[in-house]
Amino acid sequence: MSAFKIFRDLFSHNGEFAIGLVLLLVVLAVAACSFFSPYPPMDVYVVPPDVPPSWEHPLGTTSRGQDVFWQLTFAIRNTLLFGIVVAILSRIISLFVGLISGYKGGWVDRVLMSINDTFVVIPLFPILVLFYFIMRDQMSWALLAVITALLGWAYDARLIRSIAMSLRTREFTRQAVFSGMSTGKIVLQEHLPFVLPIVFSTTMNNINWSIGIEVTLSVLGFTDINTPTIGGMIYWANQHAALVSGIWWWVTFPVALVIMLFIGLFLLAISMNEYIDPRSRLSRLGGQA
Amino acid sequence: MITELRSIPLSPEMRAPQTAPLLEVDRLKAYYKTQMFGVDREVRAVDDISLKVNRNEIYGLAGESSSGKSSLIKTIAGAIRPPLRVVEGSVRFNFKDGERDIYKLSPQELSAIRWSHLSYIMQGSMSVLNPVRRIKHAFVDFALPHVNAKGADFTSLVERHLKRVHLDPAVLQAYPHELSGGMRQRVTIALATVCGPEFIIADEPTTALDVIVQKGVLLMLREIQQELRSSVLFVTHDMAVHANLTDRLGIMYAGRLVEEGRTRDLFKRPLHPYTAHLISSLPRIGDEAPKKGLEGSPPSLANPPPGCRFHPRCPLAIDICRLEAPPMMEILPGHRAACHVAQADPTRVETVG
Amino acid sequence: MRAYLTYLSKRLVQFAVVVFVGINITYLVTHMTPIDPVEQSISAATSFGSTSPEAIEMMRQSLRQLYGLEGSPWEQYVSFWKRILVGDFGPSLSAFPTPVSQLILRALPWTVGLLLVSTLLTWFLGNLLGGLAGYYRNSRVLRAFGVISMALKPIPYYVVALVLLIIFGFLWPVLPISGGATMASDRSNTFAFALDVAVHSILPVLSLMAVGIGGWFMGMRSLVSNVVTEDYVIYAELAGVKRNKILGSYVMRNALGPQVTGLALQLGAIFNGAIITEYVFGYPGVGSLLISAVHAGDYSLVLGITTISIVAVSATVLLIDLLYPLIDPRVEAR
Ligand SMILES: Nc1ncnc2c1ncn2[C@@H]1O[C@H](COP(=O)(O)OP(=O)(O)O)[C@@H](O)[C@H]1O
Ligand code: SF4
Ligand SMILES: [Mg+2]
Repeated sequence: MSAFKIFRDLFSHNGEFAIGLVLLLVVLAVAACSFFSPYPPMDVYVVPPDVPPSWEHPLGTTSRGQDVFWQLTFAIRNTLLFGIVVAILSRIISLFVGLISGYKGGWVDRVLMSINDTFVVIPLFPILVLFYFIMRDQMSWALLAVITALLGWAYDARLIRSIAMSLRTREFTRQAVFSGMSTGKIVLQEHLPFVLPIVFSTTMNNINWSIGIEVTLSVLGFTDINTPTIGGMIYWANQHAALVSGIWWWVTFPVALVIMLFIGLFLLAISMNEYIDPRSRLSRLGGQA
Repeated sequence: MITELRSIPLSPEMRAPQTAPLLEVDRLKAYYKTQMFGVDREVRAVDDISLKVNRNEIYGLAGESSSGKSSLIKTIAGAIRPPLRVVEGSVRFNFKDGERDIYKLSPQELSAIRWSHLSYIMQGSMSVLNPVRRIKHAFVDFALPHVNAKGADFTSLVERHLKRVHLDPAVLQAYPHELSGGMRQRVTIALATVCGPEFIIADEPTTALDVIVQKGVLLMLREIQQELRSSVLFVTHDMAVHANLTDRLGIMYAGRLVEEGRTRDLFKRPLHPYTAHLISSLPRIGDEAPKKGLEGSPPSLANPPPGCRFHPRCPLAIDICRLEAPPMMEILPGHRAACHVAQADPTRVETVG
Repeated sequence: MRAYLTYLSKRLVQFAVVVFVGINITYLVTHMTPIDPVEQSISAATSFGSTSPEAIEMMRQSLRQLYGLEGSPWEQYVSFWKRILVGDFGPSLSAFPTPVSQLILRALPWTVGLLLVSTLLTWFLGNLLGGLAGYYRNSRVLRAFGVISMALKPIPYYVVALVLLIIFGFLWPVLPISGGATMASDRSNTFAFALDVAVHSILPVLSLMAVGIGGWFMGMRSLVSNVVTEDYVIYAELAGVKRNKILGSYVMRNALGPQVTGLALQLGAIFNGAIITEYVFGYPGVGSLLISAVHAGDYSLVLGITTISIVAVSATVLLIDLLYPLIDPRVEAR
């Protein structure tokens, strides 16, 4: 089945997929608008401050003299990009650890999974805070992405490992081993194609997770607050006590947009899972009957 | 192999029913009706079956896998759930305290006869015990509502029963995973018989066990049956087990009963070509060449062949077999078969195998 | 018993690995930076008020030790571990000279209480409702609950807490939105104080529950819909065992094992959530302490909280693991 046909089937038969996709497209459209912004993202006091939503400023303006809509376009773009970068980096680690562990088995597996479980269990947030504490002004958007990726691969590595383990015992793997293929080649050529759909669905969840981290850290001011992000917008709104002084649009719109993004990605992930795992599809059929 | 298990060989006369049979199944049809992706599918797993089981008798049911044995006995036990549905026919029990038509009972009435009158040993008994609770809880959950004993009385009743079937009452404290396969099966049988039911249904209770353990479990079942003087409906595809255990035997093929009679008669003189094949393919001492298998595969029950369902594989098939389904008819005394050729000339079947 | 001992030793080793790797990560984070952390901390800590030169020198001394900047890299590493192992994080810089451990001990009961109440409630309710939803598949109420909790699940703790704050702080101000108890409350009246604490904990608990409950609900629902097809459930139904009994002792009881394991795995994430929630609602626990320590540039306090969080969370995971055989006796299966 071609990728396009799968896509079309999912869209027309799976309500969750359709809603998720629409939500994501709205968010992407807002992010794309940033390229047409009349104001540079970093500049302040370019418009009159504290204007409620109006024709001229559809989502109002901030106390720092920025247009909320155009600010939001930059913010969501950076936030989304952050999530994608973390997801890609951590996917590389997850795949590496998961496939090696699942394929090699034995003590390699035991050592890797022991480390893996450590990353699942320890509370990552205090470590990120400690990291910010040490780096302070040196903390950049890219550095945070790298460190988040280094901390956020473990959950999915276990998942990939279990799939690799079930693949290891299958016939074609044994044949490949007998014919003298190297481990690296077997993993890349024979196993990756089976693992990729799962990687895709975990990507959605991981983007969600890392954006959650980013929003939370920036709201606390524990990131590079000068790059506009969703968390950064809420941070500045809190700094100006926007809610207390009734500038609700400064907080509400970023929160609403990021919730759309979270729900959209989550729905895509679960509909993907359902597509991959025929057991849950069958139970759905059973449930409807 | 399995040795003779009958400790008291009963002559057919001794066993001839003075009273009405305990179980009467009449023209029973039960189908799996499913709807997948908008397509209706109907699997005729039980197709027009009539049979009787007498008191104090072990009735065997044989047939290759997927022939509908489990579906039939689930229907008899009133243990069906969608997509399996009864389409036609009836299942009647003549229990000591009155007659019951299984499909005319309310759920409460059905619950009330379970375990006290009618017990069921399900297929796959390795996994029928709750893995996270001790065995004793199973006895409480299953049997307590059906006996007039509580607390210590109930415990001693259960322990007495376990001793009677040669099980150490200590198994009550065990978890299922701590027991071997054979022990688990014995516990399941003890669980099914603790209330002294009149009718016991056992679905392949020994299939997953090795031969030595199998023999012990069969002996246990036989002993319990003789002690309780209850009837057993015993299902297995293993003809050797039937030869040694059952009094009467029914053969199923593709959702239908094709032959039925006293086990000895069936083995001595099968009337249906399929039965003849099953018997002749049993390994025997002194065999030189391996037995040749039956050609072809069993038909799909969703789309069975017309006429006699065995005709595509039958060495004796004649023209009428392809057109008309043979009825079940008594050909010799107490010995029924559904085969056009056998009904015309029973000796023809002897050439099979 | 043997099986349990093997299991026990495996879990203990895993606990040791988690603590070892976790503490090493904090060591790496603090030592792999191009910045002189001591001078940075001191300038941050002293920028708020005037501190005497002697006090600054004392701070510098204690910080150099705590960071492990004395001696060879190996000596540094060893002295870092020594301090961690005895739980001595030195004096707090922002509340000089109160020891860090004392500050943490003061905040800990609030966090533990909040986490205990919210986690147990979330886990219990999520599993109960999810189990019912899996067993009674046609209930509309349970389906609707599933949809709502599913929509809340992907939203981070901060955003949910903020939305609750907006609703109950500004739109419909009926609940206290800040603090662990009323400032001037009379603590001698135990009952009134307990009530006050309970009322203050409603919003933090609610926000933690809102995020957490969907995961347990959905997990239990799908576990139950698999368990009901197991032979032992079908057999019990067939034997006429009562429906409530089957749901409780057969279905839910068997689905519980994976959910307990899940709880152990989620604990770190739940703790993260509690930190944020405490901050949003000004709850006087470890999370608020951590964030104010960062703002005050209090390195020893930040390091102390990070370390204790790692140890406490992994110890709780160990505790859950050790109790697991009560839920599922087949320990060797894990
Ligand atoms: N749940 C089900 N849905 C649809 N068809 C079923 C189901 N269970 C069994 N069948 C079909 O019913 C037929 C009889 O099965 P069964 O009674 O289990 O046979 P046996 O016990 O003799 O092996 C088979 O063709 C099987 O595929
Ligand atoms: S009826 Fe015909 S096809 Fe069927 S068993 Fe008898 S001879 Fe064979
Ligand atoms: Mg069967």
